[in-house]
Amino acid sequence: MVSYAERPEGIVVSQNLVELVRRHHAVQAPTALEVLKQALEHHGEITDADRRSAAQASGLPDAAVYGVSTFYDDLLQPRGRRHVRVCTGTACFAATADAHVEQLEQALGLELGQRSADGEVSLAETVCLGFCHSSPAVRDGDVIDSGPGLIERVLAGATRPATEPEWSSTLTEPVLTRPGDFSGLARALAELTPQQLLDEVKQANVRGRGGAGFPAGAKWQFAAAADGEQKYIVANGDEGDPGSFIDKYLMERNPALVLEGMALAGYAVGASHGFILTRSEYPLSKPALEQAAAAARAQGWLGEELGGSSFSFDVTVLEGAGSYVVGEETALIACIEGRRGTVSARPPFPAQRGLHGLPTVVNNVETLANVPFIAARGAAAYAQLSPGATPGSKLVCFNERFARPGVYEVSFGVSMRELCEQLAGGLVDGRVIKAVQIGGPLGGILPGSRLDTTFDFEPLAAEGCMVGHGGILAFDDRTDMRAVARHLLRFGAHESCGKCFPCRIGLKRAHEQFSGEAPVDRERFEQLLEALELGSLCAHGSGLPAPMRSLLAHFPDELRLA
Amino acid sequence: MSGANGAGIRVTVDGSPVEVAPGSTVLEAIRAAGGSVPTLCYDERQAPFGACRVCLVAVAGAPGPVPACTTPCREQMQIDTRDDTARRVVRTIVELVLSELPVAPAPHTELARLARELEIGAPRFTGEVHAPRLDDRHPYLVFQHELCISCGRCVRACDEVQGAFALTATGRGFHANVTAGLDAGFRDSTCVSCGACADTCPTDAITETTLLNLAAA
Repeated sequence: MVSYAERPEGIVVSQNLVELVRRHHAVQAPTALEVLKQALEHHGEITDADRRSAAQASGLPDAAVYGVSTFYDDLLQPRGRRHVRVCTGTACFAATADAHVEQLEQALGLELGQRSADGEVSLAETVCLGFCHSSPAVRDGDVIDSGPGLIERVLAGATRPATEPEWSSTLTEPVLTRPGDFSGLARALAELTPQQLLDEVKQANVRGRGGAGFPAGAKWQFAAAADGEQKYIVANGDEGDPGSFIDKYLMERNPALVLEGMALAGYAVGASHGFILTRSEYPLSKPALEQAAAAARAQGWLGEELGGSSFSFDVTVLEGAGSYVVGEETALIACIEGRRGTVSARPPFPAQRGLHGLPTVVNNVETLANVPFIAARGAAAYAQLSPGATPGSKLVCFNERFARPGVYEVSFGVSMRELCEQLAGGLVDGRVIKAVQIGGPLGGILPGSRLDTTFDFEPLAAEGCMVGHGGILAFDDRTDMRAVARHLLRFGAHESCGKCFPCRIGLKRAHEQFSGEAPVDRERFEQLLEALELGSLCAHGSGLPAPMRSLLAHFPDELRLA
Repeated sequence: MSGANGAGIRVTVDGSPVEVAPGSTVLEAIRAAGGSVPTLCYDERQAPFGACRVCLVAVAGAPGPVPACTTPCREQMQIDTRDDTARRVVRTIVELVLSELPVAPAPHTELARLARELEIGAPRFTGEVHAPRLDDRHPYLVFQHELCISCGRCVRACDEVQGAFALTATGRGFHANVTAGLDAGFRDSTCVSCGACADTCPTDAITETTLLNLAAA
């Protein structure tokens, strides 16, 4: 008979840095990333003196701060007195085949990531600015400009703020495009116990809207059941998908709804504080959320004893520094803690041990925006929004190639053709849809001939596609699909966090195979895709094979395979 | 050995039953059963990291291979270390790792041994390799950055074992690497010369200058 000592559930990964950060957070120290970002805003680059101050202020060791300063895109690109950031996202690629990037490089005499010798101008790459409805886009200092005549305006020093996208709802009773008014929170606090709210969300079967589709109620249940006096809600506003501007809409145009969803999540799982991480590529998101949070505090919907109840909840708004993989939940937590935004193996899941080592719910902002309706009206009303399909509604967005680009709230279960042709009006200038990529760079590509596919999780999965985050990005009939493969693999390799070997090296090799003019060895490429798909640590490496397989299936001749 | 008292977790490894402590990983179960699976980023003195993915094995019912080092054992789990798909993926990954180095790893290193075990000859994958960069200003430690495969063992040894926090991962994607302090070398970092990093390095990117070498100099 052998007896065993009980070990804690989950595998114990290195927690020393996490513990250092937690102790400094407890005394309100800034994170290393916050200090580095301030230095960059102040003098345009990061020096060793800045790294030492960041280490001093945050409690991170010098070496760890150096690691942070070499991870995030924003911290790596030197800034001139005039800092020009050109969007290299997929919508801008679909609009110009990257001609706008080449024009700027030539006219400014700079390559991406360079600063002129006199320090006057710098040119940087950014993915993506979220102005996909009027691509291409450039951020010139603090001004984001986009659309026809853009390059001429940049070169003339005459950029002007671009028009924000339109939004509308096809639902008679909008859920996500209805301005947040805290009525769901008011009802929950007055009429529901935390467990009743949690049960309602579980019954509503809210699938995560950030890409993975994991049931939100299950995440909440794990966090509610986890031991810990302090728990956290983290709203994932790191909408990194090139071609998506859905969370941008929610955070900037309907921030109260997101805050209401966070407070409800806090009530259900027993968390009194939430963090929301916005993207530096969306400079308006953080101020919009902070303004909405101040208004909510003034009305008693954030802060102490919300709505006269005994429940207290408040939020902190933080901004990232340029990294796609930070949208993955363990990397997101690392970024909020001011560390390198690399992915950690799970278990432990954030619900067991997340931010500062404490039980944490991480939900996409759109997922959270669904909750106020459920709290106000219940799971049955929520199911009625998409009869016979996945419950609830979904925000989708269409890129500049469409006649009516913008953000739309739709029901699940409609056809892709209805969405693309009736809602978004087909393409501009009589162009034909060659293919649409759905749900971001990790989503499959549906050829124009398969638009009768139903917009929902399972029907799209059957076509090698996904709902993902809901971006619907059209490539028109002039698009070179080999260039699409190269574009997506370049993005994938650039954004790999560098932690797991298949993604770190495999995406680089895949991009190299498509970079030259030589034919691509199909068997070798497929073995690479298999290793990425089955071997990667997170959805970045395991997801990028999906659009590659779509291209192999539908456009093999254009890929030039051997 | 019996699990009747509920103390252990019973699993099978390639058909052989084994009982392990609650909280054990699949890798620990494989080793307890006398089996083996390759590893690169794993060092039993450190917490599992899950980066190299060469310990992939099949588990009955799972949709794809799982990393043995970070997957907890579950009661009645059936572990297969010989699964064709997992073995093929692991082979591809090791080929990729070899393809990032400008020179073949020294024959006595863990990486070279693994390549021999898998009978990997000329790599099928070629492309950019890591640029040579040498830090030899420290009296006892030498760092050849181009041999670094970002397994993180040195960083974790410094963090978890020694508590010196002198090392960090740097960059991202293919250009990820490791450096000491503010990237000015071991000598200008908080390194305490314990040698834990060199001891765990699977490629000899970090090596100890032996006393013999010092005497000869």
